Amino acid sequence: MANESNSRKAILVTPEICIGCRACQVACKSWNQLPASKTKNNGTYQNPPDLESNTFNIIRFAEVPSKETPVRWLFVSRRCMHCEDAGCVKICPSGALYKTAEGAVAYDRDKCIGCKLCSTGCPFDVPRYDKEGKVSKCHLCFDRIAANMTPSCVKTCPTGALKYGDRAELIAEAKKTGYTTIYGENDLKGLGSVYAFKEEPKLYGLKENPALPSSVAFWHSYLKPLSWIGLGGVVAAAAIHYLAIGPHKEEKEEV
Amino acid sequence: MAEMVRKSSVDEIVNHWVLAGSCILLALSGFAFLFHLDGVAGVFGGYNVMKDVHNWLGVIFALSLLYSMRHYLKDAFEYDADDLQWFKVAGGYLSHKVKVPPMGKYNPGQKLYYLAIVAAGIAITASGLGMWLMKDDATVLMYSHLIHNLAFVIFAIAVPVHIYLGTLANPGTFKLMVSGTLPLEEAKRRYPKWMKAAGRM
Ligand code: HEM
Ligand code: HEM
Ligand code: SF4
Ligand code: SF4
Ligand code: SF4
Repeated sequence: MANESNSRKAILVTPEICIGCRACQVACKSWNQLPASKTKNNGTYQNPPDLESNTFNIIRFAEVPSKETPVRWLFVSRRCMHCEDAGCVKICPSGALYKTAEGAVAYDRDKCIGCKLCSTGCPFDVPRYDKEGKVSKCHLCFDRIAANMTPSCVKTCPTGALKYGDRAELIAEAKKTGYTTIYGENDLKGLGSVYAFKEEPKLYGLKENPALPSSVAFWHSYLKPLSWIGLGGVVAAAAIHYLAIGPHKEEKEEV
Repeated sequence: MAEMVRKSSVDEIVNHWVLAGSCILLALSGFAFLFHLDGVAGVFGGYNVMKDVHNWLGVIFALSLLYSMRHYLKDAFEYDADDLQWFKVAGGYLSHKVKVPPMGKYNPGQKLYYLAIVAAGIAITASGLGMWLMKDDATVLMYSHLIHNLAFVIFAIAVPVHIYLGTLANPGTFKLMVSGTLPLEEAKRRYPKWMKAAGRM
């Protein structure tokens, strides 16, 4: 078991060997005590259609054209990417969203003020909000991994399409096994949910070149520091002015 | 007893402190949101309470800003040649030797400050309401967040300048926001054009 406490952990998804059983969806609900939601059959096995406040991961079912078989079915696990450079953590005004030592992006529900700004910060449209308007998403089972346990969804996966462990080791192994493309190896300074492919990630419907939304990047690098630099600069300038030039004096001849 | 002149009416003084108080608390809680100042949030009673306080203080701030228009808006749009000269000598703030032209009730620095607060105040209020009440619209939320922060930069710079100029830099000015009055002799010296217009000089 990987237990180098200082190194970054990750979940490695290998869609090629996923059989679409969705045990991971159930395991997540079970560990996190999340209820199922009633949905309608809309012609696909993908159910529910997308992440929900009570659904932290889903298997996306994609049908793509193929020469060998009449139809080719692809299964890919969609969940929070646990970005190293996480827009949601950057923008969260309450500090409810935070990073754990293992690199998980977890949250303190009590601290969340329900402002939904994290949805603006996320490049992957992950954060959802419960009935009280509080944030809700995959937290990489931060409670389990802190106790050296495997995330619930990974533990249940029968094929090894989900693996958990030391991030660098997982990636190195995947490459050795012949997976030429590691999605998320370097995007957003490295994702905590990495995907191993032999084909183009685009084929599986993964977002190409994910990056922080430019508005959030601009805000974080310029606007946010400018407010306190401005305040500090004025206070310093006022002090210098007071000492070097001094306050306004009433002079008799100034009538 | 020296004869006194009233520069600020009572409702102007009361409104100014409602505006100033709400603005400072908004900026304080705003900084606490921006930089996760847990200590400040604790004083407000935690982030959840601070959010509600911030939002409702915003409403008070907006109403107070609206009311302040009857005090300053008209003056803030009127400029003359002396005002231009005032800028050329930097209001006399960079040297005590230059000759500062005669001023009316407000100097152009104050007038422009007022316009800046009105503009930034409208922007911060509109965007604040956007983030508060229209957060389910992703586009509104994104732009509101940007505008709120952009306007906040203006506040973070302009307000401390204003406070410095209203206190330490101009001894005696602070009284105008407490009692609202000043001795006639002083008023003639500081605001000659206003005193002339009012027929007191
Ligand atoms: C606590 C510190 C503050 C002090 C000591 C202070 C002092 C003053 C004084 C003395 C005046 C009257 C100037 C005159 O009539 O010549 C004034 C006006 C004014 N103050 Fe403040 N103020 C403070 C905070 C604020 C804040 C936080 C705001 C926020 C928006 C604000 C907004 C205004 C406005 C809009 C005027 C109108 C006249 C002008 O443009 O100078 N003040 N203040
Ligand atoms: C009607 C007026 C206002 C409303 C409705 C409002 C509302 C909001 C909302 C909804 C937020 C996002 C966090 C939260 O949900 O609490 C926020 C953040 C903030 N507000 Fe306001 N606000 C108002 C006025 C102001 C004013 C006057 C200032 C400063 C002078 C200010 C400074 C800030 C700052 C610095 C933040 C943090 C921004 C961030 O986290 O990116 N706000 N405000
Ligand atoms: S995928 Fe979205 S919610 Fe997850 S860490 Fe990245 S920014 Fe945050
Ligand atoms: S909704 Fe909650 S978690 Fe998301 S940014 Fe706002 S306070 Fe943070
Ligand atoms: S890591 Fe945990 S929270 Fe995230 S999808 Fe898997 S079981 Fe759910």
